[in-house]
Amino acid sequence: MSAARRIVLTSGKGGVGKTTTTANLGAALALRGKRVVLVDADIGLRNLDLVLGVEKRIVFDLVEVVEGRCQLRQALIKDKRLENLLVLPAAQTRDKTAIGELQMAEVTAQLAELCDYVLIDCPAGIEHGFRNAVAGASEAIIVTTPEVSSIRDADRVIGKLRERGMPVRLVINRLRPEMVRSGDMLSVDDVTDILSAELLGIVPDDEEVIDTTNRGEPVALQTESRLGAIYDKIARRLEGDVVAFTQFGTPGFFGRLFRKAG
Amino acid sequence: MHEMVHEEAPAQSAVPRERGRAIVVTSGKGGVGKTTTTANVGAALAAGGASVVLVDADVGLRNLDIVLGLEARVRHHVLDVLENKVTLDDALVTDKRVPSLRLLAAAQTREKDDVDTVAFRDLISSLRDRFDYVLIDCPAGIEKGFVNAIAGADEAIVVCTPEVSAVRDADRVVGLLGDNRSIKLIINRLRPALVRKGKMLSVDDVNGILRLSLLGVVAEAPDVIVSTNRGEPVALDAASPVGEAYRQIAQRISGTLTAPPEVPREPTFFEKLFGSAK
Repeated sequence: MSAARRIVLTSGKGGVGKTTTTANLGAALALRGKRVVLVDADIGLRNLDLVLGVEKRIVFDLVEVVEGRCQLRQALIKDKRLENLLVLPAAQTRDKTAIGELQMAEVTAQLAELCDYVLIDCPAGIEHGFRNAVAGASEAIIVTTPEVSSIRDADRVIGKLRERGMPVRLVINRLRPEMVRSGDMLSVDDVTDILSAELLGIVPDDEEVIDTTNRGEPVALQTESRLGAIYDKIARRLEGDVVAFTQFGTPGFFGRLFRKAG
Repeated sequence: MHEMVHEEAPAQSAVPRERGRAIVVTSGKGGVGKTTTTANVGAALAAGGASVVLVDADVGLRNLDIVLGLEARVRHHVLDVLENKVTLDDALVTDKRVPSLRLLAAAQTREKDDVDTVAFRDLISSLRDRFDYVLIDCPAGIEKGFVNAIAGADEAIVVCTPEVSAVRDADRVVGLLGDNRSIKLIINRLRPALVRKGKMLSVDDVNGILRLSLLGVVAEAPDVIVSTNRGEPVALDAASPVGEAYRQIAQRISGTLTAPPEVPREPTFFEKLFGSAK
């Protein structure tokens, strides 16, 4: 059996949806039958456990694994809904310097023997925690929102990852089609042009995410929901399928009509 | 909570002016609105007549310059000053709209580890001699950038959105800020309609956990995204309700407003119809 793909989800800027994307993409891949381990690399400010609703079931964490206080398997928490989705939580009361890049790479390599996908939820910023999170990965998903500040930070991170020769793909999160149409928000094309990175997914802004996140139930589990379908598409693209992108915020009906005609 | 009654050291300088206040704007979690809050509270304080300097402590991922629309005017940054390459005056950028508002930008191509915490603290201290308010825009997280940003501040504003993850991170940051700083709370991006439906934490839910003195509650509004992208702080827009929320926060900071913050409400039918709440 070949080792899993190791993918870091990063952004530079915080609050753009790294953790939400990690949880939902992980759930979508697991729903497709893949064995997935999600790693929370945000030591000291962990949240992936909350988004997945496993916060009360944490016994051991990433730092304890690195320090040899427990076996790797003991620290993995199995999702209650999807048995092939596992989480390795971060320590909450330690800081990012508790582990180093080599140790992170080692843990990730071990996890890769157990599953098909290791998704690493990177902390915000480009400090020690970022370097750790990236150390174990061989590819990256950049999460960005269509805002100038978010794109600038994404650009900086993409530069750092390309220096390492790491392939990067883009998830554009929290797009508001009505604001794109009114010219108040950058469009998908604007963002991909600026960042010149391959597009993996477009996720529209949806208030359902706030509620499902607070309740610890990734929206991707609702396979009939709009966002559930979107995360499934992202999972399929990651698998190598060619899946057409839903057009968000492009000029309305008439614009499409003219485009077809032309 | 410790109020800062001991802070007024006997005036030793010949200048009879009180030292300015150094306030760090922090959150733990990223993307909750630290930079937007720093820009808007700073703009509102300056528009009210105070001299204000905004310091971007997010070395490597600066954004305060963009939110203020000053990115094209930044020539030097905080590390240039700390490394004595330029004077402080060379590095300060004056705002286009409010002349008593200045920006000290972060370095974009350097790392947070390049900033010496003691030197940064001393810089903040020297800024307090020149400005009424020194607002420090803290990076996300609790790493070196956070340690630097809080070093020179004896007051803190914690920005939190009504989300479980943001509240948890804010709670952690309050612990790290310690007992020797005055800590106040701004709840940002509240959506009253979601709170009513039980799909978002309420102000009481958030502050039931954090238990901080509440400086203000800011509603989620698309015009903040627009104003941020355009580099025009919404606090300077007299017609904007969100701008008014920031102006009231500024007045609570300066002490000219003592009434407790109002919780944003949903627009009434007529307000929706005529757009007055937009």
